[in-house]
Amino acid sequence: MKTQLTLTSNPIPESTPLMTDGMGAVVTFHGVVRGTEDGEPIRAIDYEANEPMVRHQFELIFAAIEKQWPIESIHLIHRVGEVAENDPSLRVEVIAPHRAEAFAACQFLIDEMKAKVPIWKRAVR
Amino acid sequence: MKITVKFWSYFRDLTECEETLLEVNEGKTLGDLHATVMTQFPKLAEMKNSTLKAVGVDYQTDEFVLSDGDEVSLFPPVQGG
Repeated sequence: MKTQLTLTSNPIPESTPLMTDGMGAVVTFHGVVRGTEDGEPIRAIDYEANEPMVRHQFELIFAAIEKQWPIESIHLIHRVGEVAENDPSLRVEVIAPHRAEAFAACQFLIDEMKAKVPIWKRAVR
Repeated sequence: MKITVKFWSYFRDLTECEETLLEVNEGKTLGDLHATVMTQFPKLAEMKNSTLKAVGVDYQTDEFVLSDGDEVSLFPPVQGG
């Protein structure tokens, strides 16, 4: 399974999936900054990451995915620093032979990230 | 043993510092260290039950026995995405 993990303070670029023979499914998820936090308007979220631990924890999650599903590749980008409302803070792209494993792996990855990957956010009002 | 303790997210606001260096006896566990840190920084005690603990880049339990030079991270629940 090929993986690519990027932590960046730059906007997440548009991209076209690089498909290979036998791959029939691409699941792409964008996490987007909402314009409210606890019912109050905000203009951005400031993301902080413990980067060495973030990379290690994502590697553990990728390894767990590889054991469970036949995934061709995962490409993940997470923003750090300030991300304006309505901008994506996260992009996950999972490529697999069939949709079931692509959806399942993407859901698993995001659930695990939200429990284990040391990234925190602060509302900017 | 010398142990570096790093604070993340709003734990830095509670401790008013990014990290602290502690001298602890051989055989001390991560739980022992956490108790010492909460004595030094009482505001962290309010977050005791939700505090996540790592040594290096791996999560560890309170029973983990520390070694000289370990770098411990203490932080609140994560919020990626």
